[in-house]
Amino acid sequence: RDPRGSRCPARLTEPPFSARYKPPATETNPALEDPTPDYMNLLGMVFSMCGLMLKLKWCAWIAVYCSFISFANSRSSEDTKQMMSSFMLSISAVVMSYLQNPQPMSPPW
Amino acid sequence: MRNLYIFIAVLFIPWSFTLAKYDEFEDGDDIMEYDDNDFAEFEDVSEDTVTESPQRIITTEDDEEEATVELEGQDENQEDFDDADTQEGDTESEPYDDEEFEGYEEKPDASHSKNKDPITIVNVPAHLQNSWESYYMEILMVTGLLAYIMNYIIGKNKNNRLAHAWFNTHRELLESNFALVGDDGTNKEATSTGKLNQENEHIYNLWCSGRVCCEGMLIQLKFLKRQDLLNVLARMMRPASDQVQIKVTMNDEDMDTYVFAVGTRKALVRLQKEMQDLSEFCSDKPKSGAKYGLPDSLAILSEMGEVTEGMMDAKMIHFLTHYADKIDSVQFSDQFSGPKLMQEEGQLTKLPETKKTLLFTFNVPGSGNTSPKDMESLLPLMSMVIYSIDKAKKFRLNREGKQKADKNRARVEENFLKLTHVQRQEAAQSRREEKKRAEKERIMNEEDPEKQRRLEEAALRREQKKLEKKQMKMKQIKVKAM
Repeated sequence: RDPRGSRCPARLTEPPFSARYKPPATETNPALEDPTPDYMNLLGMVFSMCGLMLKLKWCAWIAVYCSFISFANSRSSEDTKQMMSSFMLSISAVVMSYLQNPQPMSPPW
Repeated sequence: MRNLYIFIAVLFIPWSFTLAKYDEFEDGDDIMEYDDNDFAEFEDVSEDTVTESPQRIITTEDDEEEATVELEGQDENQEDFDDADTQEGDTESEPYDDEEFEGYEEKPDASHSKNKDPITIVNVPAHLQNSWESYYMEILMVTGLLAYIMNYIIGKNKNNRLAHAWFNTHRELLESNFALVGDDGTNKEATSTGKLNQENEHIYNLWCSGRVCCEGMLIQLKFLKRQDLLNVLARMMRPASDQVQIKVTMNDEDMDTYVFAVGTRKALVRLQKEMQDLSEFCSDKPKSGAKYGLPDSLAILSEMGEVTEGMMDAKMIHFLTHYADKIDSVQFSDQFSGPKLMQEEGQLTKLPETKKTLLFTFNVPGSGNTSPKDMESLLPLMSMVIYSIDKAKKFRLNREGKQKADKNRARVEENFLKLTHVQRQEAAQSRREEKKRAEKERIMNEEDPEKQRRLEEAALRREQKKLEKKQMKMKQIKVKAM
């Protein structure tokens, strides 16, 4: 402890004085975690599959959007490989839809 | 690294676009020419649609009865234009050369114009047209994506700036109070990184440690998701604000046993439902703090009146009244174990671990439209946190209060044990069976027959003893019951 007392004496100066950082246990509490990136990832994959199989252009576009949203909401601990794979899948869905059917997308109305 | 990925992806999109369009464009011109040429032959359409290759006559595969003329430069796109062909049989089949054709073009027009009804020019549907305007949906989509990316970059940068503004304002106060400011848990030694730990594009952590009374303090800057356009749009409907959440873990000997919370009524109602300790120990509804001079917006949840009395000293009241708009909730608890865990029946065999904690949640002023300057107004709140740490250490319950507190805790534990009695019994039973099985196996595996016999005997003896004990107990219970 600081004997002078002029500075705040509460700060510890002799080791061992610090406890280490432990990341908050969100693994045990999945309800606390934001599920958005996982949902969006899944949705993106589903839509890109639909777009590829059923040759629906709007599905493929929505898949691209979903993968972007998932990326924006992701946690830093999340695997970038997963992110990139869903992203590439959606882009490939868009490209394939246009290669097979180069006509413009018709609006649903 | 992430930005690089984004950049590559953004380049990919227009490139793939051009790839898709390229083939079509080539054929387009030819098709147009074909159209004009076809109609020009038979109809009264504008004469100045002079084609470059006037020798061409359209033949169709199904016009087999008519003589088809081989022409140069036939494309494979003829089959698309079956409909476009006018099936006037007579004029299609004639061979011709240049000179013939020149005069010939006029005559059929002249002769046929009287007989034929005027042809209405049908609008070519959008998907057959070949201009960039027909792709307006795609252009819209790409514009939307670009807008999303722009928003991501802008939002990320804003959150970053806010976080660093907060840290710069608070750095001095933190460094004077804590020996270790900033730690991400990766280094072997405990050295201050002096930096925020970025968990996300909108969540920043800071771990401080090295102070008397408390084990450590985790500060979480929970900003709004400015990097996500959907969230930005949702916030336009429902305003929300950035939050700063501070969790101080106290040493066991430095805090007495009590549970206490103060904050906005809405926040307290929510916490009472969600938090394990508040729901168990503070059974009453949040009370108004007007008695202590707090503004109406704040309410109090407490285990017992004595705790409230002790906590609400002059300085604390001063802090709470002056910064009431920024305070969301303040929770002091020795039984803190986080939110209630949603567990299935039969899984809970042990009470969740508790830690003595002080939990503060502050709202950043500005309700979403914060600027880095607003971070300065949070500095007094950090002083309040430091003051609370010292206060929690100093505050001790008197004898009565301690008794009540101990009773409460015993009651909660008892309730819990009752609930899980069945599960614990089952668990004990299964453990016993495991032990028996293990012993039997050991006996079986024993090579020496002598040893085997001896072990078996020992096991038998043990079992007999257990049975005897049980019988004794039953007898005792019966006697007592009588």
